[in-house]
Amino acid sequence: MTQNLDRRNFLKMGGAVLAAGTAGCATGVTGSAMAGGDKSASVSSGMMANLPKAKGPRLVVVGGGTSGLTIAKYAKKEYPNFDVVLVEKRDMYSSCFASNMWYAGVINLEFLAEHSFLDAAVNNKYIYFNATVTGLDRTSKMLATSEGDIHYDFLVVAPGVSYDYDKIGVKDAGVQAALRQRYPGGFISPTEHVTIKRKLDEFEGGVFVQTVPSGNYRCLPGPYERACLIASIFKKNKIKGKVLVLDANPEITIKKVGFHAAFDELYKDYIEWKPNQGVLGVDVEKRIIKTEFDEFKFEDAAIYANCRGSTLIEHLGLMGDTQKTNQKEANIDVRFNNIIGDPFVYVTGDARPHPYSKSGNTANTEGHNVAKVLAARAQGKDPVFVPPRTICYSMVNADPAEAISVDAGYDYDAAKDAITGFSKDTKTFENRSTAYGQATLEWARGIYRDMFNA
Amino acid sequence: MDRRGFVKVCAGGAALALANWDQMAVAANFESFPPAKLTNKFGAPLKGAEIPTNEAMVFSYPVAGVPCFLINLGDRPSQSDLALKNEDGDYKWKGGVGPKGQFVAFVAICTHQLSYPQPEVTYLRYAADVSGLAGAPGKIVCCAHASVFEPTEGAKVVSGPATMPLLPISLVYDPVSDELTADGIMGMEYIKRFFKTFKGDLNARYGRGGYRLDVGNKTACIPLSKYSEIVPAC
Repeated sequence: MTQNLDRRNFLKMGGAVLAAGTAGCATGVTGSAMAGGDKSASVSSGMMANLPKAKGPRLVVVGGGTSGLTIAKYAKKEYPNFDVVLVEKRDMYSSCFASNMWYAGVINLEFLAEHSFLDAAVNNKYIYFNATVTGLDRTSKMLATSEGDIHYDFLVVAPGVSYDYDKIGVKDAGVQAALRQRYPGGFISPTEHVTIKRKLDEFEGGVFVQTVPSGNYRCLPGPYERACLIASIFKKNKIKGKVLVLDANPEITIKKVGFHAAFDELYKDYIEWKPNQGVLGVDVEKRIIKTEFDEFKFEDAAIYANCRGSTLIEHLGLMGDTQKTNQKEANIDVRFNNIIGDPFVYVTGDARPHPYSKSGNTANTEGHNVAKVLAARAQGKDPVFVPPRTICYSMVNADPAEAISVDAGYDYDAAKDAITGFSKDTKTFENRSTAYGQATLEWARGIYRDMFNA
Repeated sequence: MDRRGFVKVCAGGAALALANWDQMAVAANFESFPPAKLTNKFGAPLKGAEIPTNEAMVFSYPVAGVPCFLINLGDRPSQSDLALKNEDGDYKWKGGVGPKGQFVAFVAICTHQLSYPQPEVTYLRYAADVSGLAGAPGKIVCCAHASVFEPTEGAKVVSGPATMPLLPISLVYDPVSDELTADGIMGMEYIKRFFKTFKGDLNARYGRGGYRLDVGNKTACIPLSKYSEIVPAC
């Protein structure tokens, strides 16, 4: 089945984020657009990073996720004079996209993690610098890291998202920490995936809660896909369990036809989906989730809090006005991703305020485009805007592997300087099939190759 | 890879020089390799009349590890002398060979993110019938990220994220015997990248370094549905 997503669906998906995010891009940060420069004195590490002298304009890319890896590689390809340094705090890669499939045994951990930052750097002629970013001085173009300061000519910050537990009514730092560790959402770090895998391997029965946050959270179909795959585990292993999907939204946020069909046809006895159940608090000890009108007791859970731009964006002074970006995302130009008023600093990937689907494929295609923007600007040329694209598969069955899919483009309205909706050629493929199941695997492998190989 | 005796044929370059297209500063060239007769799985020459129209056949050329599609376009005419462009530069695709120009061949590696037919599964296929991704019959489609290529027009990109055509294979048709020979390929730099990317897999499949060995004077064509255990119909 193929159906075009219309503008109404798009707005539903982006919701308030659309309005807030784009408005945030239209104006600069209150006061100086170079506000980050104020932080210089206090953030310098006091030493220079041990890096070879730059042989060309130095492009520093912060974050070795889909966006950062794509940009580090393709900026160098587009403009070989770039001297590229990728700063990444992890020393071992494991991908967030495709990770749901691991829980149900469709893939193994090597599928996600057998990709080396070292190889990516060697294959694509840049330096992988294993360090944590601690500060930024945009006036002197200096990035501070745990391994010393780095001078940049161009800087890309692609740190992804952070969870916003405040938005699900959990304000106490102790409870937030407990939630983070005991019931991780599983949409940011690999260690969360390992914990969820362990939970599912150990699960013997009862209610497993999967929450779906409101707003433009990372991987719109992710929580629904995971519900399907957990149910698939229960079904296969004859576990007397139920996946309770507590959805903050009134309707499944994307591929709803395909997900409803899977819920009803494959997992009638295993999935209970409840719309309009935004989480308003969690009692970690008693294992109770509170929503507006109800309370739900659970045996185990993956509690996916709302998303916000990575806290790094805020720390580095790159965040938009909070009255305009309600997800604490970056204050960047809609088309070219540079910080408003600063053509040398860019924010890409899921920390962007755009109403794009926050997915691996979006970050990958956006990365290709931003690499061209950087190459153009480094050569004093005008960049050309190309919106990203979101091809995204969801595995709704593990045995056999069956998936549904969406292939979405985006429309840019020059008069409004905003992304206004899905493009006309957007299609969904919601009749689950083994063909798409197979395609899902190659979809992920293709992106890994694009990031790690030459 | 042994390059001894191989001759670079600058056909594309010469043609373009005559065309005097200023913007075409660089020409992509066919690289000729020792010709290999296309055979059936038993090693007997494959007759044009035996080539199915409902799916591609897979053969290796010029070395074991390069998968190619042989496609019989049937009654759909292929265009000739089409100006195309890949990462090496501009070239002219000469069109199909055979009585109706119906036989075409391309390297079966998606130019987007290198998906290719493997014994376990293929993500790239010639969808003679209509496919969900292409929305029309007769296209080469890649399930991974929905790239669609037009085989009658040199496998140029119709839609999707790929930015250049599938690499062309040069075929020669003998009307007397109704047999085909492969004698050239374009884009060996791309192939080298493919080898580097899949070196571990290729070594496991062909033995260490086996993927780099010349196919010799003949190469077997296997229907894709026999070559790959799973052919997803996306």
